[in-house]
Amino acid sequence: MSENPFKLIRSTDQPPEHLRAEVVGSVKFVMMLMRMLQLFVADPSAALFERIRIVGGSGEGRKSNTAEPPKDPTT
Amino acid sequence: MLFRKKAKPVSQLSDEDLVAELQRDMDADRFGILYDRYSSKVFQKCVSMTRNKELAQDLTHDIFLKAFVNLTKFDHRSRFGTWLYSITYNYCLDHLRKDQKQRTSELDDDERIDDGADERYEAELLSLRADRLAKVLDVLEPADRGILLMKYQDELSVKDMMDVLALSESAVKMRSMRARERALAKYHVLFPEEP
Repeated sequence: MSENPFKLIRSTDQPPEHLRAEVVGSVKFVMMLMRMLQLFVADPSAALFERIRIVGGSGEGRKSNTAEPPKDPTT
Repeated sequence: MLFRKKAKPVSQLSDEDLVAELQRDMDADRFGILYDRYSSKVFQKCVSMTRNKELAQDLTHDIFLKAFVNLTKFDHRSRFGTWLYSITYNYCLDHLRKDQKQRTSELDDDERIDDGADERYEAELLSLRADRLAKVLDVLEPADRGILLMKYQDELSVKDMMDVLALSESAVKMRSMRARERALAKYHVLFPEEP
């Protein structure tokens, strides 16, 4: 009985070695994106506005943040 | 003192155990072990489907990434290998369809199969010379090529083909028969001198 011709034409090629590093690198990048998304979903306001200081109505915050102009030492 | 059962090294875990661990805790290096186990098969499948090694390389990258992103959807009802095969086959097919802007012809899956004629088609197909079969596969529509490779090269059972193609048993059989018919029609066009 003759051999199955489909088996005879089966590819025996191997993927290039650098492909593994590319796949694992892409997986790490996707994981990072997924973690950032998780953080955002868990607490969007903290993720976006963590470093922003909201000033009060009295303007105290604004006042304390405003530096006075330096005095001119020659006067 | 606590006595703990010594855990198996990660590299010795079965595919399914490794996937279960990845579903609990994503880890790129552990996913690399699955890559090592299946990259050759996926790449070779992509080469068979596309007949293009460079394209197969890109598709292999994308298929593993897609598998990783969808890993939480793997429900352990089938083997991991079958699940990955399904992604591979369908991803290649989608790519080829988009690339060639081909549409598979509408098939009447309820049509009855003439078993006698189909057995003759199968015997004729399996008696073709390998180099000529390769030429026939080159000109065959991707969906037909995929089904024939699935059945005769990868030797998938009808059940596995049903899972991969998301079709009923009768639809799988009908599409297989149509693929054989069309392959032989192409063969007779390419090699009209042959009987």
